[in-house]
Amino acid sequence: MPRSLTVDPKVVRKPGVVTCPEIPINVYKSDPKHERKRFGDELLRRVYYDMYTIREFETMLNEIKTQGEYRGIAYDHKGPAHLSIGQESTAVGMCLPLGVEDFIFGSHRSHGEILAKCYSAIMKLSDEALEATMKRYLGGDTLAVVEREQYEDIRDLAENFVLYGTLAEIFGRNAGFNRGLGGSMHAFFAPFGSMPNNAIVGGSADITAGAALFKRINRKPGICVASIGDASSGCGPVWEAIMLSAMEQYRTLWPEDVGGAPPVLFNFINNFYGMGGQTAGETMGFQVLARLGAGVNPEAMHAERVDGYSPLAVADAMERKREILQAGKGPVLLDTITYRISGHSPSDASTYRTKDEVELWQQNDSLASYRAYLLDNGIAGASTLEAMEQRVVEKVTQACRLAVALEVSPRPRPEVIEQTMFSNEPADRLEDREPEVLISRDENPRVQQIARKSRSAYDQNGRELSKMKVVAYRDALFEALLYRFYEDPTMAAWGEENRDWGGAFAVYRGLTEALPYHRLFNASISEGAIVGSGVGYALSGGRAVVELMYCDFMGRAGDEIFNQASKWQSMSAGVLQMPLVVRVSVGSKYGAQHSQDWTSIVAHIPGLKVMFPATPYDAKGMLNLALRGSDPVIFFESQRLYDIGEMFVEGGVPESYYEVPEGLPDVKRSGTDLTIVTIGATLYRALEAADELAERWGLSAEVIDARFINPLDLDPIVESVRKTGKIVLASDACERGSFLHTVASNISQLAFDYLDGPPAVVGSRNWITPAFEMEDTFFPQKEWIVDTIHERVLPLEGHKPSTVQTGGDIARRYRRGV
Amino acid sequence: MATEVLMPRQGQSVESCIILEWKKQEGDAVTAGEVLCEVETDKATFEVESPADGVLLQRLYADGDEVPVLERIAYVGAEGETVAAGQEPAGDRDEDREVVGSSDEPAGAGDSAAGTRPEAAAAAATPDSETREPQAGRPEGRGRVFISPRARDRAERAGVPVELLTGSGPGGRIIERDLDSALAAGTVATRSAADGVAARSGRPEIEASAGTGIGGRVTSADRAGAVGAGGSDRTSGAARTAAEGAAGRETSEQRLTGVRKRIAERMLESVQGSAQLTLHTSADARALLAYRSKLKAAGEPYASITINDLVLFAVARVLPHHRGLNGTLEGETLRSFGAVHLGMAVDTPRGLMVPVIRDADLLSPASISSEARRLAAACRDGGITPDELSGGTFSVTNLGSLGIEVFTPVLNPPQIAILGVCSVEPKPVYAADGEVEHIASMGLSLTIDHRVVDGAPAARFLQALGKALGSFEVLLSGAEPVEE
Repeated sequence: MPRSLTVDPKVVRKPGVVTCPEIPINVYKSDPKHERKRFGDELLRRVYYDMYTIREFETMLNEIKTQGEYRGIAYDHKGPAHLSIGQESTAVGMCLPLGVEDFIFGSHRSHGEILAKCYSAIMKLSDEALEATMKRYLGGDTLAVVEREQYEDIRDLAENFVLYGTLAEIFGRNAGFNRGLGGSMHAFFAPFGSMPNNAIVGGSADITAGAALFKRINRKPGICVASIGDASSGCGPVWEAIMLSAMEQYRTLWPEDVGGAPPVLFNFINNFYGMGGQTAGETMGFQVLARLGAGVNPEAMHAERVDGYSPLAVADAMERKREILQAGKGPVLLDTITYRISGHSPSDASTYRTKDEVELWQQNDSLASYRAYLLDNGIAGASTLEAMEQRVVEKVTQACRLAVALEVSPRPRPEVIEQTMFSNEPADRLEDREPEVLISRDENPRVQQIARKSRSAYDQNGRELSKMKVVAYRDALFEALLYRFYEDPTMAAWGEENRDWGGAFAVYRGLTEALPYHRLFNASISEGAIVGSGVGYALSGGRAVVELMYCDFMGRAGDEIFNQASKWQSMSAGVLQMPLVVRVSVGSKYGAQHSQDWTSIVAHIPGLKVMFPATPYDAKGMLNLALRGSDPVIFFESQRLYDIGEMFVEGGVPESYYEVPEGLPDVKRSGTDLTIVTIGATLYRALEAADELAERWGLSAEVIDARFINPLDLDPIVESVRKTGKIVLASDACERGSFLHTVASNISQLAFDYLDGPPAVVGSRNWITPAFEMEDTFFPQKEWIVDTIHERVLPLEGHKPSTVQTGGDIARRYRRGV
Repeated sequence: MATEVLMPRQGQSVESCIILEWKKQEGDAVTAGEVLCEVETDKATFEVESPADGVLLQRLYADGDEVPVLERIAYVGAEGETVAAGQEPAGDRDEDREVVGSSDEPAGAGDSAAGTRPEAAAAAATPDSETREPQAGRPEGRGRVFISPRARDRAERAGVPVELLTGSGPGGRIIERDLDSALAAGTVATRSAADGVAARSGRPEIEASAGTGIGGRVTSADRAGAVGAGGSDRTSGAARTAAEGAAGRETSEQRLTGVRKRIAERMLESVQGSAQLTLHTSADARALLAYRSKLKAAGEPYASITINDLVLFAVARVLPHHRGLNGTLEGETLRSFGAVHLGMAVDTPRGLMVPVIRDADLLSPASISSEARRLAAACRDGGITPDELSGGTFSVTNLGSLGIEVFTPVLNPPQIAILGVCSVEPKPVYAADGEVEHIASMGLSLTIDHRVVDGAPAARFLQALGKALGSFEVLLSGAEPVEE
């Protein structure tokens, strides 16, 4: 809600009709004479060569999958192979006009797109550039395999490199483009602009939008194409990606010189089926997919249906749309129709379509038609084409032979997976240029306001100060963000209400004044696309900070957090980095859908760093750590804590830059008799419990704030338990499946001989969160901790529990499932 | 059908025996009368013979296992024969499996498992309140102590038997603070007791670094190995000093077995189970010493008759006139005997043993002497039979030869009196002329079970014995003394 735009009732209440531009369908008319002039004969022949390469490559895989053999090379490939036989013209046509700097992100069916984009780049790159890229990539491992074979020149070698790198990846080999860790559905080769292909339907849409944001915000050349299936138009995140890409602010509010809307093209490769569901007439209602553009913006996304069976029609459309995108007038939607002759996968019995239908398309086969086009128009003679075909078969056979042989192409060492889960390469700035800011830090009104506050929660006499007078948790977060915005020019932040509002919890207040629109902006209410675009932004080379207003909204960004942010570093074998911080605010007071602590859910997902500071000192030190890192961080904050001051560190929150050591739990209060470990705001309830244990029973409790969920150094906790023998773990996460059970289980194993009782976990009830006034029945309270100690660890003399924390009640709750 | 081999009952009071060593392996051919294994009672070792010709089909217990008498310990049968289902060991199957299973474990673990068996059987058989009611540290009865790993570890280090701790943790679990309060209350065992506890529990303390488990953790195998090696260095604990590590100064540990274990139980049972009172006096030893000199001068066989033999003779002759002390108390039955079967304490390498001289009241000093010598030798070489070790009506123990001037003998239950013979020392007495003179005097310490023997009759016996010793040659006349 920018103040600069007025919502005028006079305007919005006026009657009228919405008019839509016409959406063209298959307007391209082939004109051989014109085409020979426009593209040149060599390129036209090259189109056939590329299409034929894809056809042979996919045919090879089909034979391997269905017959266990290709041209005498036997192999049993157990993994997936979603083939695109029939769709070659769409891939080659799409990539023909694209530059090396243009990105395409694909789907599970993208072998053809990898080859087409890479071959297109090979055409455009110099020998030197090609050689340098191949030598550098994965330490030259891929090149080493193909270099030993015969080749004519660098381009020939580069083609072999692409064929082999892709196939070795599909077969899960160490010299594959992603060391075999991605496989068929995720293979890609970033140096040539073939970006991650995604096995989640539509998964590429918001990632592509993020990549386009990266290009626009950082003034990079090139466009970004999401090559996704027609059926993905039914996916929410795809719509979210479109909405995020079509925000009017790019043209109205962002600085003009930034260049307008992010250059993103949603290229729906419309083969009319989503697996077996027929989008045309059965599972969707648009009839013509291109119609969807009409619902998005006045330009109807410049939508068009393109005849994908004609490579030149596709190339023509791409060239025209690329210009629109470069002019900042995107986004663009293409409905590129095509047909896969092959099944969804080799196990597909095609029960959902008739043989007649497949035959109809075979009669229209794009490869055969284009061959005829070349012959009929004298662009190539039959012998030329046959020589070309022969050459392709030889190359594909060579790639197959090399990729199948285990002695030539061994599997990756399993340690590679462990080593690539995190990149762990902190960097002050991801590009070396002056960050774009509007004012100096000293001029910042928030900075000036904070300067008047106490860095500590207490005054010099140890008296607690009013919350208005202290540098609070939210201020500490602000300082970390402001610091990095002025250090790293690529850093950008977006989410809901991030700009003028200052974030729903005022963390960003003061940033609106400091940063131009393209570094801090409000996103559509599209949690999936907010995180997904962050993923795309980060893997393209920028530092993204995105926000989920409430932890509960994480479900809306499930795939983006669970499958995308977490996995791409290792699925790319470390080729990609993921400097993405997802700020997640854990709520309270607002009931069941606004109060959940879902730290345990992300703790379960490999590949995420998870942090949850509970004090202003830690908030700043940990956000500093996260914002300098190269890994995806789910950064939890607590709405109970935004206004508290620093109570533990003498002198309060340092003004200068510092980082909290990664994974290190912090002893907030030393003790000798028992250990209480907390995550999040429960720290303060644990301290109340510790006070009561001291006052009533003379017990000295050691209170440790884990701070980190992953990575987590268990040593300090084990050390404490060795001393005390007793441990209670508490957080606001629901008890069942709480990450604290994982910690407790590990403590049992690492400190078993020192334990004087079982580690006891105190979590929220396995209920919905009730109204604020009843929250003490849901979230762990001081009494729960004391009662748990009494019932399960150390009976306290004369204590009368006020809550039920017995072992018997655990069993009862589990029987009832609550 | 296979023939069962039973653990024989060797004597009335024997309840169980420990298998010292199997002489035959499963599958070995055996003939009737061939030794299958050597077993040890609390009092003696003996051999178990094969009851039939054939093959040793199955051994039901391992070396070191304690087995109740008349329990099956093995089967002998034809080669290839299998033991029928009904022939499996008696009693609850699960429990037996537990014992048999644990028998395969190394010695330390096996022994403690065998030790739990009678308890487990009792708990299963008698649904009394004691085994059913949750107790401190024993929430589920069956003798299992529930104790946290931390408390157990610290108790072992401190040498506190966990059985003596009371659990205050959840469900009665013994936790660290229970040990702390026991320590504060002073119920801590001494260091030597700590050694004993460590040995008795079969878990001698081993430094963590000595463990072969993951992370240097001490596994049961480490513990068994330490026990099997006949005790290990006590390498940790507060009491350890640097000098202890020097050669010849190591602390050694031993598991209590056989005779020593039985002695320990009997002694504790004796002290805890009766009201012991010891009376001390002394007797004029001049006549005794003079007679002994004469015997010595007479040469063999008289020279072998010792002072102790002569005291035994005197006791055997005086005792029938003080029947209140020549008896046993078993339960609520008090027996007093006309005959004197005299127990005599013998020091052996395996510990104290008390063989019995039958009908001592009928024997001459020479017969008593030769019988005493025979029995002592049998005790020392292990050939003593359980029956020679039981049936005593009164016992005599002699520490006088070791210079002990006075002591308090411990009753040998179910006997109700025991005489301790002390050293001969000069004692000042008033001579007839009123002057003080020193005479040779023998100390006598008589312990009685005050539940059934009063002080005065005991004193009268001592008085009579003193008089008999003081005029020993008169006693030799065989004349009946006149009751006073």
